[in-house]
Amino acid sequence: MLSEAIANELRAIVGSNWFLDSPEDLATYSYDGFLPEYKPDGIIIPENREEIAAIMGLANKEKINIIPRGAGTNICGSSVARQGGIIMAFHRMNRILEIDRENMCAVVQPGVVNADLQREAARFRLMYPPDPASMFVSTIGGNVALNAGGPRGVKYGVTRDYLLGLEVVLPTGEVIRTGGKSLKSVTGYDLTRLMCGSEGTLGIITEIILKLVPLPTSKATLQAIFLDVDHAAKTVSAIMASGIVPTTLELIDKVILDVISDYGGASFPKDAEALLLIEVDGEEVLVKAQGERIEEFCKERGAIEVQRARNAEEAEMLWQARRTAFGAVARLRPNILVEDATVPVKRLPDMIRVIMDLAEKYGLRIGVLAHAGDGNLHPLIMTDLRDEEEMARIDKALDELFEAAIGMGGTLSGEHGVGIAKDRFIDMEYSEKAIEIMRGIKRVFDPNNILNPGSFL
Amino acid sequence: MDLNNIAEEFSQCNKCGLCLASCPVCRELLLEKYSPRGKIQLARYYGRGDLELSDHFREIFERCLLCGACSITCPSGVDLKKVFLEMREKISEHRDLHAHIKSMVQSLAEYHNISEEENEERGEWRELLKEIPDHMYEKDRAEVVYFVGCVSSFFPMVQGIPRNLVRILDLAGVDFAILGGEEWCCGFPLLGAGLSNKMEELKAHNLEKVKALGAGTVVFSCPSCYGTWDEHYGTDLELLHSTQLIERLIRDGAVTLREVKAMVTYHDPCDLGRGGGEYEAPRAILKSIPGVSLVEMEKNRAQSVCCGGGGNLEMADPKLSRTVARKKIEQITQTGADTVVTACQQCIRTIKSEARRQKIDLDVLDITDLVLRAIGPS
Ligand SMILES: Cc1cc2nc3c(=O)[nH]c(=O)nc-3n(C[C@H](O)[C@H](O)[C@H](O)COP(=O)(O)OP(=O)(O)OC[C@H]3O[C@@H](n4cnc5c(N)ncnc54)[C@H](O)[C@@H]3O)c2cc1C
Ligand code: SF4
Ligand code: SF4
Repeated sequence: MLSEAIANELRAIVGSNWFLDSPEDLATYSYDGFLPEYKPDGIIIPENREEIAAIMGLANKEKINIIPRGAGTNICGSSVARQGGIIMAFHRMNRILEIDRENMCAVVQPGVVNADLQREAARFRLMYPPDPASMFVSTIGGNVALNAGGPRGVKYGVTRDYLLGLEVVLPTGEVIRTGGKSLKSVTGYDLTRLMCGSEGTLGIITEIILKLVPLPTSKATLQAIFLDVDHAAKTVSAIMASGIVPTTLELIDKVILDVISDYGGASFPKDAEALLLIEVDGEEVLVKAQGERIEEFCKERGAIEVQRARNAEEAEMLWQARRTAFGAVARLRPNILVEDATVPVKRLPDMIRVIMDLAEKYGLRIGVLAHAGDGNLHPLIMTDLRDEEEMARIDKALDELFEAAIGMGGTLSGEHGVGIAKDRFIDMEYSEKAIEIMRGIKRVFDPNNILNPGSFL
Repeated sequence: MDLNNIAEEFSQCNKCGLCLASCPVCRELLLEKYSPRGKIQLARYYGRGDLELSDHFREIFERCLLCGACSITCPSGVDLKKVFLEMREKISEHRDLHAHIKSMVQSLAEYHNISEEENEERGEWRELLKEIPDHMYEKDRAEVVYFVGCVSSFFPMVQGIPRNLVRILDLAGVDFAILGGEEWCCGFPLLGAGLSNKMEELKAHNLEKVKALGAGTVVFSCPSCYGTWDEHYGTDLELLHSTQLIERLIRDGAVTLREVKAMVTYHDPCDLGRGGGEYEAPRAILKSIPGVSLVEMEKNRAQSVCCGGGGNLEMADPKLSRTVARKKIEQITQTGADTVVTACQQCIRTIKSEARRQKIDLDVLDITDLVLRAIGPS
C-alpha cells in the first residue's frame, strides 16, 4: 500500500489530475490482454521525461514498484502490477515529434498509437513496416518493449529491425540515450536492441527513433486453397526458396476455415485443409511478375483453387477471411487462448500435425493461424476459463506443445512475449547460465528491482 | 447483483482492447475507465460486488455516446451497448440523476415532450409551410402516419425537416397524417437515462393513436424514434425511416428528380446506420439525384464516427460533446466537400452548431432538403 505522503509527492510531480487512485481507476488498470488481474496501488500519467525521472527517483528511494503500460493489449501479462505498485501510463506522451524525410526516420513519444504513425508516415510516402494486428490500439512504446511483429514481417522483419535509437529513463531516475539517426553504429554494446523486447523491466522508454522505408507503390494479393497442409507448407518453402520475398504469407488451417464458413464470413471447399494468403509489394512490373509466378507455384504444388486480386477491392476481399478468423473463433466459446510458438519455417507442417494430435489427445478444440513465412504459429485454443478440468488439460497440452517447438529448434514465443504467460517455461529454452546473465543485466539497470518486477526472471 | 442478462457479455470479453480504436470518447479522455473495454470491466467488477455505483461510476457511464461503434468493432461479439444501457438502468436505480437529465424526465412526465413546452405546440413547424391543406395533416384516417419526434418539432434549427418531408410526401401523393398534439415523446431519451420502465405510458399512447387512424405504416425522420419503435414497441406496423420511404418513392417513380449541382459527403447517423442497419437507402437517394456527387468520408457506414450528439452526452458533458463534433467536422472537411448531408435532426444540430461556433463554412443539410430541391417546382 502507498502512504498518503508518497501519494502526495507523486501528485506534486505530475499534478493532482494525473495521479489516480479511485476504485474505478484501480479496477481499470488491473488488467491487460492476458488473464490474471492485479489491482495496482495507483496510476500515474506523466507528461515528459523530467516528470518520469522525478517519479523514478522517488520510487527507487522508497522502493515502490513501477509498471509501464502502453495500451494494455499485450497477451502475456506484462503490464499489470504483479507485485503491487504503480502503473505508469503514457496516454499524454502521444506525439509524433518528427518525420525526417531525408534521413527516412521518425522520432516519436512512447504513447503514439502504431496506426497513427503509419498514417502520418504515409503522408510523406513513407512506411513504418511493423503492423501488429493490434496496430489501431497498441503503442510504439509497447511495441518496442515487446518487439512486436505483424503480417508484413516476412519481408520487413519486426520492430527491432526499425529501431535506431532510444531515450530511456532508468529505474534509478537517470536518463540515457542509445543509438541515433544514423543507420549504422557499432559503438559499444547494442543497448537499443537490449531494450527491445525487455518487457518493461529495464527502463522507461521516453523517446523512440524509428527507421522508415519508402511506401511501396504496388501490391499483389493471392489466396490459395489446399487439400493437404503439407502441400501448403511445400508451397511456402518453394516461394521462400525462389528468391521472391513475400510481404505476407499467412496460413489458416481446416478448423478455422470451417469456423469461418459457419460464421458466414466466406465459404471454402469442404475438404480444404489449409488456406494461404500471400502478398508481395514493390514496383508494379515486378510485383505483377511475382504474383504470376506465385500463382504457378501454388498450382504446381496441388492448390485446388488460386485467386489473384485484380484490384484493391478484390485484395480486401481476400484479406477478409484472415481478418474475420479471430473474431469468428472468439465467438464460439467464452474464451480463447492465443499461443505463439514458433519453429523454423521448414518444420511448420510438423508443428501443425503436433497441434492437431494434441487437440485430439486432450479433447480440445484448437485452430491454427500461422504467419507461415516466418514459422510463427498462433494456435487458438477455444475454451471457457471457468471450466477448471478443461484448463488442466490445456496446461498439459501446452507443456507438450512448447517441448515440441523447442525440440524442433523453435521458441516459446515469436512475438507475444513471456511475461507471466510463459515464465514457467523459460528454462526450457535457456540454460541456467543464460538466465543468470539476464538476471545480472536486470540488476545493473534496476538494483532495487522496482521496475515491473515478477516477470520472467 | 442481478446482471444476469449481461453477464454473458462480460465473460465473452477477453480484454483485447480492439474496441478502444473506435471510441470517440476515449480518444479524448484517454483514461482506460472511459474506454469501452474499461466500462465493460467496471460493469463486471460491479456485478461481482467489487465496486459500488458511486457518483464517479455514474459520471463515467454518462460519458458515452451510446454510438455502438465499439460493439461493431469487437471481434468477440460483445454487445457493449447493451451492457452500457443496462448499467444506466442500474445506476438510475441507485443514484441521483444528472440535473439536466432529471429535468428532461420531468418534462416528459408533465408535457410528454423533452422541451418543457405545451404539447399542443408540436405542430408549430407547420407555420413554415407556404401552403397547407385545411386538415393541417391531422386527419381522421390515413395509410401512413408521420411521427415527427420532439427535436424536429420544437427546435427551430431543424423544423425544416418536417416541413420538407410533408411536402415531399404531398408531391408524391402519399396519404399520410401527423398526430399533432397527440404525438408523445417516443421514450428514447428515457432509455439513455436508464429509465426504460417509465416508457410504458408513452408507448401505449402512441400506439393507440396510430391505430386509431387505421394506418399500416409509420414513418420517422428521426432515426432514434425509428429505432425505439422498432426495438421497444413490439408492433407489427410497418416502420420506415424517411430515407427508406423516399428511396421507395423514387424507385416507384412517384417523384421525379431534377438536377442539383452539389458535391456532398454523407454522415451515417449512429441510430440509422449501426442501429437500424440502413446505410444504402440514403446513398441510393443521393445517387439518384442528377448532378449530386458523393464523396465518402474515410470512416463511413458501420465505421462512421458519431457526431457527438448521442447518449444524452450533450446534457452530461456539453464540452466533450462539442469536442467530438469538432473531430467529426474535421473528417467532413477532409473529403473536400463543402456540404454534409445526413438524415437525423440531432446530427444536424450538433454538427451545425459546432461549425458555427468554429466559424467553419460548412453546409449541413438534411437529406430531405436536397430531395425537395430536386423535386420542388423549378
Ligand atoms: C487482438 C490482438 C492482436 C495482437 N496482434 C499482435 C501481432 O500481430 N503481433 C504482435 O507482436 N503482438 C500482437 N499483439 C500483442 C500486443 O498488441 C503487442 O505486444 C503490443 O506491442 C503491445 O503494445 P501496448 O501498447 O498495448 O503495450 P502494453 O501491453 O501496455 O505493454 C506491453 C509491454 O510494454 C511495456 N511498456 C509499455 N510502454 C513502455 C515504455 N514506454 N517503456 C518501457 N516499457 C513499456 C509494458 O511494461 C509491457 O511489458 C496482439 C494483441 C491483441 C490483443
Ligand atoms: S458506445 Fe460509442 S462512445 Fe460509448 S463506449 Fe462505445 S464507442 Fe465509445
Ligand atoms: S473488443 Fe470486445 S473482447 Fe476486446 S476488449 Fe473490447 S469488448 Fe472486450
